[in-house]
Amino acid sequence: MTTLLAPAPQRDTVAVQPAPASRRRASLRRELIGLVFLAPALLVFGLFSWWPILRGLLISFQRTNLVDPAVWVGLENFRAVLTDPLVGTAVGNTLLFVALGVVIGFPAPILLAALMSTIRRGGAVYRVLVYLPVVVPPVVAILLWKWFYDPGSGLFNQALGLIGLGPYPWLQSPQSAMLSLVLEATWAGMGGAALIYLAAMTGIPAELYEAAESDGAGIWRRIWHVMLPQLRPVIGLLLLLQLIGTIQVFTEPYIFTQGGPDNATLTILLLIFRYGFQDGEYGQAAALSVVLAIVLAALSAVYLRLTRSWSKT
Amino acid sequence: MGYLAVAGVAALALTGCSGLAPSKSDDSGTGSAIVLRVQGMPAATDKAALEQFNRLADDFEAKNPGITIEGTENRWDPLTFSAKLAGKTVEDVIQVPLTEPQGLIARKHVQPITGSLKAWNHYTEFNPQVLQPLSDSAGEVYGVPLAPFAQGLVYNRALFTKAGLDPDKPPTNWDEVRAFAKQISAKTGKAGFVHEAKGNTGGWQLTMLTYTHGGSMETEQDGKFVAGFNSAPTKTALELLKAMRWTDNSMGQNQLMDQDDVVKQFAAGQIGMFMGTPGTYRLAKMKFGLKNTADYGITALPQAGGNATLGGAEVFMVPASVSKEKAEAAAKWLLFANAEPQYDPAIAAERAQALAKDPEAAVGVPTLPMFSVEQQAKIDAAIKPHVNVELEHFQPWLDGTPKLELRPEPPVAAQKLYTILDPVVQSVLTKREADISALLAKAEADANKMLAAEQK
Repeated sequence: MTTLLAPAPQRDTVAVQPAPASRRRASLRRELIGLVFLAPALLVFGLFSWWPILRGLLISFQRTNLVDPAVWVGLENFRAVLTDPLVGTAVGNTLLFVALGVVIGFPAPILLAALMSTIRRGGAVYRVLVYLPVVVPPVVAILLWKWFYDPGSGLFNQALGLIGLGPYPWLQSPQSAMLSLVLEATWAGMGGAALIYLAAMTGIPAELYEAAESDGAGIWRRIWHVMLPQLRPVIGLLLLLQLIGTIQVFTEPYIFTQGGPDNATLTILLLIFRYGFQDGEYGQAAALSVVLAIVLAALSAVYLRLTRSWSKT
Repeated sequence: MGYLAVAGVAALALTGCSGLAPSKSDDSGTGSAIVLRVQGMPAATDKAALEQFNRLADDFEAKNPGITIEGTENRWDPLTFSAKLAGKTVEDVIQVPLTEPQGLIARKHVQPITGSLKAWNHYTEFNPQVLQPLSDSAGEVYGVPLAPFAQGLVYNRALFTKAGLDPDKPPTNWDEVRAFAKQISAKTGKAGFVHEAKGNTGGWQLTMLTYTHGGSMETEQDGKFVAGFNSAPTKTALELLKAMRWTDNSMGQNQLMDQDDVVKQFAAGQIGMFMGTPGTYRLAKMKFGLKNTADYGITALPQAGGNATLGGAEVFMVPASVSKEKAEAAAKWLLFANAEPQYDPAIAAERAQALAKDPEAAVGVPTLPMFSVEQQAKIDAAIKPHVNVELEHFQPWLDGTPKLELRPEPPVAAQKLYTILDPVVQSVLTKREADISALLAKAEADANKMLAAEQK
């Protein structure tokens, strides 16, 4: 037996481990084949993602009308943008949108998912209902809500009128306009996040809840000490995605209010839009885009560091 | 990927992926047929107008061998224009809103076609006021208008009657507008008067109001333009708005509207009066379904010492990226399609007759003379049998407008000025405690900074 079995590993070793030169050739061949398959995707990604980014970066140092040759102006666009008082307004408004989004929009899907996870019957129906707003095209949803918010015949004021409240100037007042935008955005985006939370919740081992329950933990303690710690990576990721998404808010202020009233909903992206497509200041639009990209990249880096330290603990 | 998306989207939009896009409009066309891509083709739903456009294109091609007309329903769109311009895929003739020509000229996005236009026999007979919005300070002309107009006061005749007002005696001054608005609001529960306020229309309409109060938005000082609105006329105009909004409560609830919003509400019978052009009749009827067109009335813009109104027209221009040869062909097309039917009574009558076959069309909406008053009278007489709008309800506008000075938009960076003034109008309409003097002082400082940068 020994003599019969002994040579086998050697033969096997020879068979699966070619000589270094042929191994390199095989590896190269594999990589080339991989690259051939990747090439179309790389080409599309390069042309439609990286090339525009590089062009945008270049334009941020130029003055151009897109017809005549561009003129190199150094940091002038950045100087113009950073000294524009409207940038301060736009940053403040964007941060307000982000903050309201975190306070109102962030806990909403967690609560929704927690509620849905307790439903025993007809869960699929609720999931569809919750997810439905996500499939409504954003422009359609905003136009619908624009009618809801209408100060005269809007649904909200009509409904509130029945119980003797209102009418409220939802979008018409600088004080309430941003909040109104956040409410719509929360409604529109909540379903997707809720389903992700729901999926994460179903992945939490039931024994953890049972153990906590046998230790006398009530529903809130079970949520606090079992569910939330288990959801932490998902919460962290979705929080970062929400921050990045809300900092880039554009569609809502553009369609609802075009930045009004009195610039109360002028956000950074809307200002970039104004620079580029209203004023024809393409260099300044690109410069503000670059500044925003740097901020968002820094935010992503902070998140990566945080998640790394979390995973260590 | 969020940050990549931001930079990517912005950069893609800005660069328009130049180099990738097919260069459709910069081919010289030397020695071969020219395909002229023109905006302004009516939508397929507007059958009569589309048929007319196609017939017009056929006639033009027959008279101009070597040029083929390719119409598109596109109009100038700020979202795509820059990318199309950079990618050289923009049409050879573009249709732009009245608020845009001066900005496009200043950014060199359009090219002068004065030389080609001068080849036409009647070029010198153009009413200089209608070419002015399409010209630069050196007198170069960048396009040809269609259906020139002056701003007026549009009003709902049915609401006037319901409020106990005589629709044949519309207001002639702003004190009357205020009183009428209050009465309409009190008697009918509808907005007596509305003022546009978003997407730069707030600043645009404040300009009209200022003109009627005898003011200017920009004034010339030592050869440069500075903000001129921080003065009594604009202040009085804003105080009027403030009083109507907060003291009289006659401006309805919705204060963030642009022209489409306003005309839509007007067509639904929700608005008593607004500043607009006769062309809003077409918009109300054909786009927003105004059922009883006899409710539509328009009068000359009410005054408060200025005796002036803002002029304009539907505007067709030639982008800077278009080759010289195509630009010449574009000028020929614009003269054929826009100018000649407004000069030649026979052509005007033929077009009106064809349009009148469609009851949904609006035939005979009055315009200002594109040439002379006498020429316009001939055109009006020729199309009279085919008119299907209630011409008598335009009479107050036709009677009152010639007595007013027709003034252009602010000469330097009008759009940017409106961007600065929109928040001023919005503040007055949405904040009861708005301080008009402080708002105008701040806007003046911002505008002067912007104007200085523009005139460097």
